[in-house]
Amino acid sequence: MATITVERQMLPMLQSPNQGARFYNPELPETEPFVPGHRTCAGCGPSIQYRITSKASGDNTILVGPTGCMYVANSSYLCTPYNVPWAHTQIGSAGSFTAGVAAAYEAMIRKGKWKGPYPNIICEAGDGSASDIGIGSISGALYRNHDCLIICYDNEQYANTGIQASSRTPYGGMTTFSPPGPKVPEAKTLFPKDLARMMAAGHPHCYVATGSVGYPIDLMNKVRKGLNHKGAAFLMVYTPCQKGFVYETPRSIDLGRLVVECGLYPVWEWDPARREYDYSFKPATMRPVAEYLKLQGRFGHLHAEHIATLQQFANDQWRMMNVEVPEALVRAADPSSHLDMASAEAAAAIAHTV
Amino acid sequence: MADKKRNVRINGCVAAAQAAKYADVDVITAYPIRPYTATMMALAQMVANGELDAEYIVADSEHSQLSIAHGAASSGARVFTGSSGVGVQYAYELYSPISGSRMPVQMMIADRTLDPPGDFGSEHTDALSTRDMGWLMGWSCDAQEAFDNHLMAFRIGEDPRVLLPQMVCQDGFFVSHITTDCELPDSGQVAEFLPPYKHPYPLDPRHPVSHGPQIMPEQGPPLQLERARAMEGAMPVIEQVHDEFAKIFGRRYDPWVEEYMTDGADVVFFLQGGHGVTARHAVRHMRERGAKVGLVRLRTIRPYPTDRVNEVLSKFKVVGVVETNMGLGSVSSGGSLYAEACAALYESDKRPLVVSFMAGMGGEAIVLKEFYWMTNKLLEAQKKGKIEKRTHWVGFEE
Repeated sequence: MATITVERQMLPMLQSPNQGARFYNPELPETEPFVPGHRTCAGCGPSIQYRITSKASGDNTILVGPTGCMYVANSSYLCTPYNVPWAHTQIGSAGSFTAGVAAAYEAMIRKGKWKGPYPNIICEAGDGSASDIGIGSISGALYRNHDCLIICYDNEQYANTGIQASSRTPYGGMTTFSPPGPKVPEAKTLFPKDLARMMAAGHPHCYVATGSVGYPIDLMNKVRKGLNHKGAAFLMVYTPCQKGFVYETPRSIDLGRLVVECGLYPVWEWDPARREYDYSFKPATMRPVAEYLKLQGRFGHLHAEHIATLQQFANDQWRMMNVEVPEALVRAADPSSHLDMASAEAAAAIAHTV
Repeated sequence: MADKKRNVRINGCVAAAQAAKYADVDVITAYPIRPYTATMMALAQMVANGELDAEYIVADSEHSQLSIAHGAASSGARVFTGSSGVGVQYAYELYSPISGSRMPVQMMIADRTLDPPGDFGSEHTDALSTRDMGWLMGWSCDAQEAFDNHLMAFRIGEDPRVLLPQMVCQDGFFVSHITTDCELPDSGQVAEFLPPYKHPYPLDPRHPVSHGPQIMPEQGPPLQLERARAMEGAMPVIEQVHDEFAKIFGRRYDPWVEEYMTDGADVVFFLQGGHGVTARHAVRHMRERGAKVGLVRLRTIRPYPTDRVNEVLSKFKVVGVVETNMGLGSVSSGGSLYAEACAALYESDKRPLVVSFMAGMGGEAIVLKEFYWMTNKLLEAQKKGKIEKRTHWVGFEE
């Protein structure tokens, strides 16, 4: 049986990483696989992410969209924002449908039924799909090592259905399934599932990384690393949701940087060749979590002890990346160093939204 | 791989695997559940031996199995999958999306009784519960028919006039694990019968398309109508493919119903699947004793051959539907075949009496003695001109 060797694409890395959102990088590809004309909210983090990541992968790309914001708000029958092939799949089918596309291209190219280089196959799953209902299907795709990239655009909630808690919703995050009340003053009582580390620990042969829309060049390079890696890759990206987080629309990218600087969204890579974490990504500065929390209505109900609890969580995250926590941040984990959001002048605007 | 025509003895599971191999499928997705597993075991060995070049994916659940199949078919690959019992139901979410996106995925079903409690026996409820999801569906009664149905289903489902997924069903154990004679064709015959799969709008970077965008409610009706028309439009294609199959392979099947000893019959059994084999023997024995009994075996249940069932069953005085499925609280408080047979007969001028028999439940064999008992019930109804009750649980009554 004559088999044809499958030709893989190799995408170059962009230089000048981490220059921030306002830096114009002349290396940016001109192609726009994800174009305007969709119905996402102004300042939508996931759609900014969609544009950045699809730009990084280019035109020889197939996108898979499990149910979520990036399905419902992007695609409206009889018009489409996708310049590359795209298919909807069920919210629990993120990894499995993508695996099917990958398997089809492996077989069709090998058997001479499709000619051309193997396409970049990318799944764009929300955190509800990736950390809850579709986690098994994604784990299956990573375990079987299909040549594809699965991105979790993490807006820390089920946003499209009207802001419900997912297992990525942070402690203290208000959603319609985790509202604050006299019995549960902190709203969400559970800490988020460490999805990216689960994927790295359980599938060490895969390229796994986290990123944020606050660092677009870093994000594009991680997309390309994931695609260049022969086999499966997983990327979890912080994508703020203006509707669910309740913040001023132009601040999406600011939040994307603040969340990293506050230690609430560790940015790292898992190197499958060396089988170790790479913590070399360093934000320009480190800040107390209150600077991030005070900008968002979803945290407007927090009391001093809840803010301290979140600071403790952030400090633990820093330590997991071998970063020494400055004295000021250690002190910030003490409730006595905070005010309740409702009585803090800096958070007055957002406390009001609750 | 060129195969020569040859006679073999295989069971239904292996027959299904052989059909997938002859069809040169590109992607296979498996997840273990008895009894259909034997099909996937056979295919795994063929791939390992290099007899079949396909991506063989061991999925993490039946839901994933069907999603993988959906993704692969959407990309332009010929896809084969399967399941049994509760596995069929675990994948339930995917049946409508696959038929709605018009992806001709093929699924082999070896029936298994649904839980609770765990039961290895065969009831048709697993596949029948998906019967309105837009999949072509029918039952085979032995290995040869299973092989032939699988091959024909690829051809029918992939026809550009149809583009629908296919559920090719066989009774667990009675067909899936009983070895019978089977003629495997020459590869050349299959090449003549089954052209390579070519979906008109695959996910191909050179011709970008968007599959399955969100719609507004008012955009739903035309899409649903289109799918309904595809199902209806499959009927002439099914007939045409059965004709061509007979010409190339020399085996002719009525696509809709098999009539066995129905000439001059007053009462008939109406059933589908493997129990048809026992029913043929029972009918022959009862005929020898003078009872005017026959058998009508439904071969295709989706699309339902309403006019044909009406025409055929109207010839008789009493029809005994042998269910082998659960329709709890249904029209007859028995199975689900009764309601459809009655609906098909509603417009008939010569409506027969219809009785429902709950037999073969839990996967128990329906033995000759039970067919005799059921025949007597049918003859009694004929004599009295009315039925004493709509549903009989066979084995629980005098």
